[in-house]
Amino acid sequence: MIHGDTAIGEYAVATHGLSKRYGRESALEQVDLRVPDGAVYVLVGVNGAGKSTLFKVLMNLERPDAGSAEVFGLDTGRDGPEVRAQVGYVPERQDAPYRSMTCARLIEHAAAYYPDWDHAYADHLVRALAVRPERRVGGLSKGETRRLQLVLALAYRPSLLLLDEPTDGLDPVVRRRALALLAEHLADAPTTVLIATHHIQELESLADHVGVLRSGRLVAQMPREELQRAVRSYQLEVPAGWEVPRELEATALRRSSAGRVVQCTLVGDERELTRRLAAAGARVREVSTLALEDAALAFLPEDPS
Amino acid sequence: MLVTLDPRDERPLYLQIVDQVRRALLEGTLRAEDPLPSVRELAGELVVNPRTVSQAYRELESEGVIYVRRGQGTFVAPSIHPDRRERRALVRGVAERAVLDARRNGLDVDELVTMIWEVAAEEGEGSPSTSAAARGGAEGAA
Repeated sequence: MIHGDTAIGEYAVATHGLSKRYGRESALEQVDLRVPDGAVYVLVGVNGAGKSTLFKVLMNLERPDAGSAEVFGLDTGRDGPEVRAQVGYVPERQDAPYRSMTCARLIEHAAAYYPDWDHAYADHLVRALAVRPERRVGGLSKGETRRLQLVLALAYRPSLLLLDEPTDGLDPVVRRRALALLAEHLADAPTTVLIATHHIQELESLADHVGVLRSGRLVAQMPREELQRAVRSYQLEVPAGWEVPRELEATALRRSSAGRVVQCTLVGDERELTRRLAAAGARVREVSTLALEDAALAFLPEDPS
Repeated sequence: MLVTLDPRDERPLYLQIVDQVRRALLEGTLRAEDPLPSVRELAGELVVNPRTVSQAYRELESEGVIYVRRGQGTFVAPSIHPDRRERRALVRGVAERAVLDARRNGLDVDELVTMIWEVAAEEGEGSPSTSAAARGGAEGAA
């Protein structure tokens, strides 16, 4: 795994060799997630990469086959209720048990459960996200359900937010409003956020840590600036028939070529890579930084296999 | 809106915010003792991590551009002279990016400077007399 040199300190979430299989399918394999306290950690991966399974293990809704997970130092399997009391969870799919309740009734229900429920803030969120209190939960559209879930997750200001595709089903205007509310939420109280998404672009300016899950494996994990410093696009002028040298093969994530120009995405120190490329006969014509999304997606195969 | 971010700009977001505040001072849209939006307001408006806004404000505060009045918010410093230091800092940022870009493209700085004058002349920005004056001024300051 390619990982950053995050100092060992306080982690809000840490998993140790976490593995989970469904039949012969491996959903998580030896995952060592490290979410620093106070971080906005974005977990990227294609559908089925294991993001939702990871969240379910953290919420003790699934038992891992191997390894363990801690939230604020509490074991998620042993201390499930204590963990859940500190976590605001927006699941990818809404469970059905409260379908006959109105939104207002469900919000009251949640308020009674959490001692730290902030009624004034909940009212503010209901208005800002245009949740209609009189509607029945079972009759909500996907987007309406998401908005209700966000109210329920944010209103007691939990120390950790676990957001699984939080903007799924929201229209662009509500999407932006929801993310603005999240930014304000972070300014009001210290909160750690772990967000699973395949829309990393919309989180580009909120994220400070990034993890990439690929077929159940965490293939990259590092602070955001480090990712953008380490993953860059190189345009090379090369002799005919040139190939990326074997010693650099492991760092080359993407490549395409046109005539004597090769464009490739490489991981590592720019000066060092430029020197090694020169030694291998390639002249670096241009080096460009990538948007966060492109830097993260570089770790995922172009054709999912 | 005081600050807008450019997603194609590869500089860190906090530096973009710092530069935009400097630019607002130069343009006069921000003046001495004007209040700045709170960290919370700006984070919500730009949808950025509040830590990024705090980092930008800390940077501006350490440069003496803004100051915090406890319990009241953040304000532009009373003795701000945007024509000198701010202008210089802003020009420096633009120059650094241009030089970096030139080097990456295998160009040397003299070529770049010559071409800047050519392009500016074509766009009608500098008639020969004002260019010469500006050039003289720049050399004088250097």
